[in-house]
Amino acid sequence: MELLCLGLNHRTAPVEVRERFAVGTASLGKAANDLVLLAEATEGVVISTCNRTEFYLAAVNAQAAFERIETRLAEKIQVDSSVSAHFYRKEKADAAMHLCRVVSGLDSMMLGETEIFGQVKHAYGAALDAGATGAILNKIFQRAFSVGKKVRTETSIQEGSTSVGNVAVDLAEKIFGHLKNSEVMILGAGEMSRITAQSLVSRGARSIFVANRSFDRAEELAKEMGGSAVRFDEWQSVLNRVDVVISSTGSPHAIVHRSDVEKARRARKYRPLFFIDIAVPRDIDPAVGEIEEVYLYDIDALEQLAEEARTRRLLQIEECERIIMHELEKLNLPGM
Amino acid sequence: MDMDRWFLIAATLLAAIGAVWGMISVHQGHRSQLTVFWMVAAFVCQLGFLSVRGQMRAACPLVGTGEILAFLAWSLTLFYLLVGPAYRISLLGVFTAPVVVLFQLFALVPGKLVENPPRVIGGNPWHETHSAMSVLAYGALALAAVAGVMFLVLDKQLKDQHLKSGLFRNLPPVRELLISLERLLWLGGGLLTIGIIAGFLMPRTTQATGHLVAAVAVWVSYVLLVGLKAVRGLTGRRLSLSAVALFILSLVVFAFV
Repeated sequence: MELLCLGLNHRTAPVEVRERFAVGTASLGKAANDLVLLAEATEGVVISTCNRTEFYLAAVNAQAAFERIETRLAEKIQVDSSVSAHFYRKEKADAAMHLCRVVSGLDSMMLGETEIFGQVKHAYGAALDAGATGAILNKIFQRAFSVGKKVRTETSIQEGSTSVGNVAVDLAEKIFGHLKNSEVMILGAGEMSRITAQSLVSRGARSIFVANRSFDRAEELAKEMGGSAVRFDEWQSVLNRVDVVISSTGSPHAIVHRSDVEKARRARKYRPLFFIDIAVPRDIDPAVGEIEEVYLYDIDALEQLAEEARTRRLLQIEECERIIMHELEKLNLPGM
Repeated sequence: MDMDRWFLIAATLLAAIGAVWGMISVHQGHRSQLTVFWMVAAFVCQLGFLSVRGQMRAACPLVGTGEILAFLAWSLTLFYLLVGPAYRISLLGVFTAPVVVLFQLFALVPGKLVENPPRVIGGNPWHETHSAMSVLAYGALALAAVAGVMFLVLDKQLKDQHLKSGLFRNLPPVRELLISLERLLWLGGGLLTIGIIAGFLMPRTTQATGHLVAAVAVWVSYVLLVGLKAVRGLTGRRLSLSAVALFILSLVVFAFV
């Protein structure tokens, strides 16, 4: 009996191909059983996320199973045979190694991300419940989960935020702790502001105020985020109550000056205030950052922090792979 | 050597291990989870010390600089154990342990702890209340100063955008530190108020009156600080600097008054 993996991901297939093979979370168990029938295999697990769809199988003959599954899947999904070019095929120890890399976040678009661990666990659980797994896949998946945990605890592959938005949210949490008591103001209803504010809301920020030169656009974004729109010339009045200000207007000069913040300090009782300036040219006068209770981070500072985290993660890959290899050797898989 | 000193030496060593262990953990970027256990062990030894001295004195052991410093170290440890784990501020122990070590080392300096201390005869309950409440208050105020130092370190790192150190990763959020600091100031202030009221009710010598005046001055300073924070507001930096400065100042005042 051989272990094999057939899959496509964000590196091998564009989204229009990936979406054809995507399987809904609720259907993963049934898909695993269908896979076993299609490939004439004995065991099967289907993993499907926004960046990958992978089929793990235990079959008597790997090559024959690959051919059957590719042909029959193409027929079932009604795509031509050229789709094969997007697939990667892995056998025996390579397949196990690949699974461990996936579970550990080493194969993810965002290196070291943790969500994939839960997604694979869910896919395996669905296949297990559907009776599509057996001795081989159970052993491999359970080992992959323990390897994934080991990689995350023994290395810093998941440490630090790798996107500007997440760096900003992490900093907000470092300043305010739980964000459930924090209020946020967005200056300029641009895409970056929206993404960053959404991250803050997803971590519990209590309310959002949106100020934009076009009030209609401010209302639109405020409605989308469950917040309130503020007229652009009235943003100073909201400064008294907010904890975080995200600014990303298209203004050619600074719109938040030291004097604006100085005026609000007394009313704010000198509480900490976090300014995130993601505009170029900058919206917030750097002198604002000299005020004692103000923490000001511009796009360069945030990008540098994200880059440092990405570099730290890249430096961890070798160590992660050493752990994976060491753990898989204990399984005595063919090809190791 | 008497049993009481052995207890104090053991407490000092345990707190020192907690401090070093914590610092190494933080330097390596880990949470210093074991510091709290070392501090619990130190606390037990401090209790042993106070119990032996209390039996010798047949009163609360707060006679002389050595006993006051040891009692202060016990009070600081007590408040850390009450506040730290409740607020999940494991790093508070790393900052508290060296202060405990420092106080206890001073207490162990030859001459600071009287050997075979005599029994306190004709003790007055107001006097004991004054001493115990005042030293307990200083425990809370010392911990407020420790939280203030932690805030100042975090504030500097955030301002300078130096966010890579293990210390930064382990420090609790700014808002939580400031809330803890303020609550400790209120708690310390409340205990000090009881201590001072008891001080006015106890029989006093001329020297004790001077001491009480100094205590009132310290109390007024803390009341002004928490009042200012509550009514007008204060930046975290000023609140922290004031908490640290007032604590050091009050220790210096009592060393000479």
